[in-house]
Amino acid sequence: MTPTLECIETIQGHNDRVWDVKWSPNGMLLASCGTDKTIRIWGKEGNKWVCKSILQDGHQRTIRKLGWSPCGNMLASASFDATVCVWDKRSGEFESSATLEGHENEAKAAVWSQSGTYLATCSRDKSVWIWSVDEDGDFECAGVLSVHSQDVKDISWHPFEDLLASASYDNTVKLFKEDDGDWISFATLTGHSSTVWSVAWSKDGSRLVTGSDDKTIKIWRRFDPGNMEGVHTSGEDPTWKCVCTLSGYHSRPIYAVSWCHNTEMIAAASGDDSVSIFQEDLSAGDRAEPVFNLICRVRHAHEQDVNAVTWNPSVAGLLATCSDDGTIKIWKMTGE
Amino acid sequence: MPDKDNLNPLIHQRVTPRTRLKTTNELDNDVRDPFDQREIFDLIRDINDPEHPLTLEDLRVVTEKDITVNDEEGSITVLFTPTIPHCSMATLIGLAIRVRLLRALPPRFKVEVEIAPGSHNSEKAVNKQLADKERVAAALENQHLLNVVNQCLTIKSNNYSPAA
Amino acid sequence: MASHFSGALQLTDLNDFITPSQECIKPVQIKKAPPSKGRSKIEITEDGSYLSVDANSGKSTKLQKAEITLNDCLACSGCITSAETVLVAMQSHEKFYEVLQENNSTSANQKKVIVVSVSPQARASIAVKQAINAKNAALALSIFFKRLGASFVLDTTFTRELGLIKSAEEFMERYKNKEKMPKTLPMLTSSCPGWICYAEKTHGKLVIPHISTVKSPQQITGTLVKELLSKHYGKTPSQIYHVAIMPCYDKKLEASRQDFYNDVYATGDVDLVLTAGEVQVMLENESTLLAHLLNEKDSVNFEVVQELKPTYLSNETLLNHSGGGSGGYLDYVYRSAAKELFGVTVDKIIYKTMRNNKDFREVILKDEEGKSLLHFAAAYGFRSIQNLVQKMKRGKCPYHFVEVMACPSGCLNGGGQIKEDDADREKQKHILAMVEKVYNEIPTTAPGENEDVKRELDNLKDDSERTERLLQTQYHAVETDETLSLNVKW
Repeated sequence: MTPTLECIETIQGHNDRVWDVKWSPNGMLLASCGTDKTIRIWGKEGNKWVCKSILQDGHQRTIRKLGWSPCGNMLASASFDATVCVWDKRSGEFESSATLEGHENEAKAAVWSQSGTYLATCSRDKSVWIWSVDEDGDFECAGVLSVHSQDVKDISWHPFEDLLASASYDNTVKLFKEDDGDWISFATLTGHSSTVWSVAWSKDGSRLVTGSDDKTIKIWRRFDPGNMEGVHTSGEDPTWKCVCTLSGYHSRPIYAVSWCHNTEMIAAASGDDSVSIFQEDLSAGDRAEPVFNLICRVRHAHEQDVNAVTWNPSVAGLLATCSDDGTIKIWKMTGE
Repeated sequence: MPDKDNLNPLIHQRVTPRTRLKTTNELDNDVRDPFDQREIFDLIRDINDPEHPLTLEDLRVVTEKDITVNDEEGSITVLFTPTIPHCSMATLIGLAIRVRLLRALPPRFKVEVEIAPGSHNSEKAVNKQLADKERVAAALENQHLLNVVNQCLTIKSNNYSPAA
Repeated sequence: MASHFSGALQLTDLNDFITPSQECIKPVQIKKAPPSKGRSKIEITEDGSYLSVDANSGKSTKLQKAEITLNDCLACSGCITSAETVLVAMQSHEKFYEVLQENNSTSANQKKVIVVSVSPQARASIAVKQAINAKNAALALSIFFKRLGASFVLDTTFTRELGLIKSAEEFMERYKNKEKMPKTLPMLTSSCPGWICYAEKTHGKLVIPHISTVKSPQQITGTLVKELLSKHYGKTPSQIYHVAIMPCYDKKLEASRQDFYNDVYATGDVDLVLTAGEVQVMLENESTLLAHLLNEKDSVNFEVVQELKPTYLSNETLLNHSGGGSGGYLDYVYRSAAKELFGVTVDKIIYKTMRNNKDFREVILKDEEGKSLLHFAAAYGFRSIQNLVQKMKRGKCPYHFVEVMACPSGCLNGGGQIKEDDADREKQKHILAMVEKVYNEIPTTAPGENEDVKRELDNLKDDSERTERLLQTQYHAVETDETLSLNVKW
């Protein structure tokens, strides 16, 4: 049976374009945000996804992206108003607990490291900021990384190390690590011919997937010094190399990619209103030249551009998307 | 206000007539009426130049022939030609065209607004910015910029007086 | 082109991709030619200039390029890119050569007096690159610039000492009046131009009242040089040409500030700023090694103007101050305040590094019960500046005084210091350590001990007008007014 993606629920609620949708770490809640300047938290009651709470008055402009802390108690929101809000639900309800200022203009993403130690943010001001929490519980800037030459669109933390990847309007992806108290950029991934909109890590942290305005999806692999494939490295740093390019599947920009840490499938969302799912063919290819096949495609997943796609972290094959059409959809992969 | 980039622009005769005959299908409310070049042109011809009391049609920044419409696929491409190759208003003009079409067309349309090839020094950069939906969305939340765009989109009555 | 400015400045760059000439929001002056009767079109020539071609006659005229001065850029809240482009043209070693050449070919009474003042940080960087010690570097640089045509080569450490003493005075004043005058503490140092520019553009109202009014060593030197030498030679300040050699690219912006510009004589206190890196380029261009220049000592004229003598750069009278390579502001103000306000003589200052950030250090003077009397900090690098400003915003800033520098590790690591191509982090750290070592070769003295400094201060004692002119300045919050422009960056 060929795998299919079945829409099991269409969630209405936002009054305008929905920019982002993110599952909580245990997969029980779904947070969404958009042009209406609100964050909505959705939970399942019976068979229905219902709005559990609406977080508002945190931002003056569009809320672009969300990030859950690994404990699931905090949610960060990045807004076009240049600030990042941190919402805390330890009291039971989500309350705005901090506003991070410092970016010069639109903040585009805010994500927590898997260790929970750091929060990273990025902005059109070309910078990536790393924040940590000080003794008083205030967020303190641990690093300002101005290495991109343009707008930084997306950031993503390594699944278990304190390594950060950033994707930019300058067509590159950069990787950052901490070195002797300073955050530094240690690798630049070039290959896309236009804006890189989205970046995500594989489960084992040895690969990255990116989605771009150039309508392609690329898989990148880390090659450590002394690797079997003989890929050149310098010093102690690994080399990152594009090992696979998926093109011809989408006719418009790829706005989001998500790499499932349960099934290892890759989901992509595009401005052509479609969603596609790719899976690695382990019987073909090798580490240096893996083969990924399109296993499923929903041409009209939404009425308009699909802005985000994300795999549920605990239920294999459960997917959420959101769109300019104002809806959020929950999908289920069947027939694998 | 800054001085104008192009102090002495060339003013063109308006070539596309204002009125046209409707076809039988267009008059029939039951027939789905696809968008064509001319309709798109009518939407953008009267956009005001940010610097001159003239329309984009007067300055031949937009012309009917530089519009491509595929109603079935829901795609529209508009090429525009800045009056001078270093025109600093190019992104603003492009933004105004884009906003006009976003507001007027059904959401099923994917609109591309680009500089006519070879007519601007920073063609690639301007096109990239205009194609970036996130940047466009953020720009339209900037009140000042929005006011400027809205001024471009406010149709002035004298646009309808016959061209000299 | 990669930007040379400090990270703090680069972040305030709102420009995205449009080239400076395009996105600059400053009104551009174009001479209005009478409109031609026929139609004209504009062509671009191969060199990128524009030609207006008359359709009737076919005659073409070259269109004037818009020129933007650095002052336009500084007064603007927009990009820094334009400022950088303008700086490259106006403050480069090529420009210095031009001035020197012009000066050599002009008649004696038209000749400008050329003065070069060298900062100790830049000197240390050049010394490391040229593999000579600090004292020899001082002498050799002096010889180098004199051979090029400079009449005087000075050391900015002397004026730094005046600045340190004034800073301590200002702090005592602020501390004693802290109940009456809120918003004056913490006092924030002012010698770093990257920090000042960022503060004015981004946090003007919040931060400016806290910034020390004391000028940087570069600008004190500038005022002193123009004042003393124009008097000595009976020349106008514009006939004195003053070049500063600095560890930092942002210093070029500082020299161009309106506050340091003399409208009457249309001249700045500092006419040109070159970085250590640019001086190294000059040395390479001339295939000159500083070590070889030491033998040429007798071939140059060490002319003496008594008033300036204490500031001469030579190998005999070099000054240094304790407290690190960024000037020692915290060090001196802390010691002075402990002594004057609490009668405590501080032997050694022991810093506490804050939260794994070696660029944010603090020191607290406590009384016998452990109560904090003085709480000082050094905040270097943009990250530390951010945390400082955010603390101030939240009203949770415990400090009385903060030494603020835009570069991580401070001025010895300034953006204008000599960089090795393709040096990795380890190599960079090594170079910085070497520069620190050379910088510290010069024994330190406590400010105010030097006889010449004492004399200069005595001269200033009863002349508050001159004191202010020589040692103090002011800051201006940059207002963002987007409504002035159609070209909003988005």
